[in-house]
Amino acid sequence: MADPILQIKGLEVAVEGRTILKGVDLEVPQGEIHALMGPNGSGKSTLAYALAGHPRYEVTGGSVVFDGKDLLDMDIDERAKAGFFLAMQYPVEVPGVSVLNFLRTSLNSIRGDELSPREFMKLFQEKSKLLEFDASFTDRYLNEGFSGGEKKRHEILQMAMLEPRFAVLDETDSGLDVDALKVVSRGVNSLRGPNLGSLIITHYTRILQYITPDVVHVMFEGRIARTGGPELADELEAGGYAQYGSPEPAVAPSA
Amino acid sequence: MASAPAWAAELRHTATANLDRLPVLTGEEEEWRFTAPTDLGLAGAAPIDGTAVSADLAAAAGPRSGTLALADGMPSAPVLGELPPGVIVAELGQALIDHEDLVRSRLYGLIGFDDRPGALNAAHWTGGTFVYVPRGVELMLPTETLVSATGGHGRVFGRTLVIVEDGAKATVIDRYRSADLAGPVTASTATEIFVADGGELEHLSLIEWGAGVRHHARVTASAGKDARVRSVVVTLGGDVVRVEATHIAAGPGSDSRALGLFFADDHQHFEHRVIARHEAPQAYSNLLYKGALKDQAHTVFFGNLVVPPGAPGTDAYQTNRNLVLNEGARADTIPFLEIETAEVKCSHAGAVGRVDDEHLFYLRSRGVDEETAKRLIVLGFLQEVLEHVQLAEVRRELEDAVARKLA
Repeated sequence: MADPILQIKGLEVAVEGRTILKGVDLEVPQGEIHALMGPNGSGKSTLAYALAGHPRYEVTGGSVVFDGKDLLDMDIDERAKAGFFLAMQYPVEVPGVSVLNFLRTSLNSIRGDELSPREFMKLFQEKSKLLEFDASFTDRYLNEGFSGGEKKRHEILQMAMLEPRFAVLDETDSGLDVDALKVVSRGVNSLRGPNLGSLIITHYTRILQYITPDVVHVMFEGRIARTGGPELADELEAGGYAQYGSPEPAVAPSA
Repeated sequence: MASAPAWAAELRHTATANLDRLPVLTGEEEEWRFTAPTDLGLAGAAPIDGTAVSADLAAAAGPRSGTLALADGMPSAPVLGELPPGVIVAELGQALIDHEDLVRSRLYGLIGFDDRPGALNAAHWTGGTFVYVPRGVELMLPTETLVSATGGHGRVFGRTLVIVEDGAKATVIDRYRSADLAGPVTASTATEIFVADGGELEHLSLIEWGAGVRHHARVTASAGKDARVRSVVVTLGGDVVRVEATHIAAGPGSDSRALGLFFADDHQHFEHRVIARHEAPQAYSNLLYKGALKDQAHTVFFGNLVVPPGAPGTDAYQTNRNLVLNEGARADTIPFLEIETAEVKCSHAGAVGRVDDEHLFYLRSRGVDEETAKRLIVLGFLQEVLEHVQLAEVRRELEDAVARKLA
């Protein structure tokens, strides 16, 4: 087994004084894709934001080692530069900041050197094609007026361009129709390999039909309740989260 | 320069007499509530002349049809490119003599001298700009006037008169610059813009003074039937700046846009008073002013849509948004409406906000450091106005100026 890219030990996180994560232990070896499942309110998104360093999420205990370094000690942008990426559940709209300007600024700061405009455009075009964005997209402002599906595809486009060492996908599948889900999954699968570890956070098993996880974790009430192989997802699909005391199903209600 | 014609001397005499006659501004007046008239040299002792500082204040690179450089507002001859037949770009004092017929009927028509600031400018202006575009002519390249302050004169005056005839088209830039000056210099400028039926004009006021300068600027534009007039006011420099931008919808079907962008830092105090006055029916106006503030800066926006009786079908909007970058900076916004006609469509909005933490988090989570992220957010906030600046080189220059303020 490869060295872990992400090693979480006893992580405790509070939001506005309320403890949400109560000692999370989770390890992802580099090159593997893990799924993190659980009912609403179990703490999945809290984990995602805490790892990314969102100031609203206060770490009150535990440790996170990322690629051999203390992740919790790094500033938000340092985490990204170290190769950590969070595909957000609700990407914000930033008025007046163009998609291209944003991507160029982001890419240059993560790479630490400047791509020539030509190289940049080549990369951008290649990856936009993969995520099925058309040319008019470049003139738009960051997430402004994007449909739900466009926002999610744009998150994966960023991931494809920034080539992180580890990516957390926070409910990237929520609100996506099947076509968009396929595009997003194709994007993620194209990045899959020995240099990418990933944690796919999802409520439902649907996305796991397109991106097969190596390991499935179930989170419940702020802790990892169970860890198993892909078959664990099938089990949840059949029984929902009932065995953890939640009546929620793990199959998306059909639209 | 030959002496001014008798009629001009007479008007100046009246303006001077008005200065003696009109009551002194105390700052108690409702419209002077936010900026003390003494801070603009409109009351109190006249500023004292100092020592001139030499500085390279060359304007931005970019092709121009004509340029004027009025150091301390003193007259100087224009530098002219190839102008279409009938187009005039001249120093205003000279134009009183050379183009008497065109100037006489319009000068002081929009900005008169029956109030103190107006009288002060009319009584004392020394040099200025006259732009005339005859019927149906399109002046492809902009004209640009640089009014600079050297510190040698305690008071600097500027005056611009623009006449765009029926169906004609032009872009006119008034730029105000100085180095950082030790002593207080006060500047008073007045820009009158007449756009006749079907004409099109874009006017830019670029206020880029260094420290030590206080500026009272008036820009009034009148739009004839189906005319399109756009004013862009960019306020970045000066200790105390008050801009009064007024758009008059004089003809039906006219389209007036007032765009403003300001960024105040340190202890700068900016006040923008922007008015759209609908004197004709079926006219459109849109005011959009956006500002950023940091340090201990203070800005005031006062906007007013005036629709007197007899202007049905008016379609008028005003928006002011301010982005406050730190505690200690303060933005006031006062959107106002005076509507006396039924059947109008009007809206107004004013807002003061801070950099959104979620925006900052999003950009930083993509590896962008905090300072750069803030710069992107502020530039993005101002982009809504910047994207309306047609001249690419001016737009870039403004983006750079804003970025420098953020550094």
